[in-house]
Amino acid sequence: MDFLWRQMSDKEKEDAKKQVDSIIDSFSKKLSTLKDKIEVDNSIERENFERSEGGEKLEISKKIMFENAPDKNNDFIIGEKKSWK
Amino acid sequence: MEMNTQERLKIYLNEIERNNKTGNKINAILEINPHAIDEAKQIDDKIKKGKAGKLAGKIIAVKSNINVLGLTASCGSKVLENYKSPYDAEVIKKIKDEDGLIIGMANCDEFACGWSGETSAFGATNNPQALGYVSGGSSSGSCASVSADFCDMALGSDTGGSIRVPASHCGVVGLKPSYGSVSRYGLIDMSMSLDQVGPIAKNVSDAALLFDVIAGRDEKDAISVGSKVEMRKIGDVPKIESIPRNIKIGVIDFKINDSRIQRIFDEKIKEAEKKYKWKVEKIKLDYIDFAVATYFPIVYTEFFSCTRRLDGRRFGKRIEEACGPEVLRRIIGGSEISRAEHAGRYYHLALKARKLIEEEFKKTFKKFDCIICPTVPRLPHRIGEKISIEEMFQYDALTSPINLSGDCAISIPMGEVDKIPVGMQIICEKFNEQKLFQIARSFEKL
Repeated sequence: MDFLWRQMSDKEKEDAKKQVDSIIDSFSKKLSTLKDKIEVDNSIERENFERSEGGEKLEISKKIMFENAPDKNNDFIIGEKKSWK
Repeated sequence: MEMNTQERLKIYLNEIERNNKTGNKINAILEINPHAIDEAKQIDDKIKKGKAGKLAGKIIAVKSNINVLGLTASCGSKVLENYKSPYDAEVIKKIKDEDGLIIGMANCDEFACGWSGETSAFGATNNPQALGYVSGGSSSGSCASVSADFCDMALGSDTGGSIRVPASHCGVVGLKPSYGSVSRYGLIDMSMSLDQVGPIAKNVSDAALLFDVIAGRDEKDAISVGSKVEMRKIGDVPKIESIPRNIKIGVIDFKINDSRIQRIFDEKIKEAEKKYKWKVEKIKLDYIDFAVATYFPIVYTEFFSCTRRLDGRRFGKRIEEACGPEVLRRIIGGSEISRAEHAGRYYHLALKARKLIEEEFKKTFKKFDCIICPTVPRLPHRIGEKISIEEMFQYDALTSPINLSGDCAISIPMGEVDKIPVGMQIICEKFNEQKLFQIARSFEKL
């Protein structure tokens, strides 16, 4: 496999999908051999359910955020331009 | 007379000028902090007044997936090549508060998706200790920067070995902290249930110092708990220098195909056993062979999820239109696994296997103080050499299980094979970084 970065053609994208399908299948087969029964708990707790935003508010952060946005107006970022249906 | 921060910065900047894009073409640094000289002056003023923090004078490179206010967090990708960080990550805030100096942003595999440092859209990172070979990834530029004498220390992130693998190949020290010990606020995530930010340094003491600064609970990161290392001196000796007694080491029984790596490893273990009277026992971890098959479905799914914000609206370009092959493979993989018909078949199986791996490590740590193995069971390949996906997976085979278990692990240099550095990985139970550093420092002294 080629791991060097490069722009990809549509054909290469199709090939990538095939590669991935075969990788996932092999993982799945391997994991299916696990016999042990085990409960999985993924809950995460923190002290307060809602996090206080707080912190320093830097004017420069707002400026950089707008500079990063490809499409914006005076004081808002334009997500997508479409007519309302 | 000891050099001040400004003088040391000048030396590092000259070295970068000589060997980053030209000379040895290490390609480790993507951007220099334009304010570094002014900031160095401010730090020197504080040092003169005796008011400087723990990191005063330390010069640090930062992996390009960590936000540093005003610098480019490109994640090694064309997608974010013009993205300026609007804020400091929590780890950066802590470094600045302790007067560490950020020299610049380091190259990395695209969105940290890679093992070799070759998937960066800005070119592969060359291994400073073995030119022409990969540096290892994904924190390729961070480890290569330390190894090439571009800085004192660096920050990387480790999801499956991304700090330890390049640390091993570049001959430096790299720590993957316990999951939850360092805040991830401001880290551009790859796989949120596995990522950790960690230090890279030229020696164990510096790695411990940087860890001491960046570790700690942060309310902005829901899983953050914190962990401590004792940098305080006991008498005249810092605690990290004291060699722990009665240590029981478990050596992982794992087939290393390269007998030269195995030989160096066995010699080191024997030396420690003899000199420190530590007890050593071989151990078999039943689930370690499941690590790669467990790790990737989790990474694919979580990476796919986190890339959905990269739609080109608020910043950067749409990811699918500007990313490279490895990132695309992971997006496609995550999308496939997340599809309704697969629900429970892949991701849930992987979570189940992960729990088994975690339990197995927990059980092993009841009998042993630490578990040790070579960091990478193979030598790095040549840049551009085509290798199979199975060969690529070998890089993470011994590091990814520790991301799955959440424990802490460090890679330290243990020798060279054909002049290419090889590392030893020491693993301790979650939040036992103090013990981990002491054991690592003891090995370093051999």
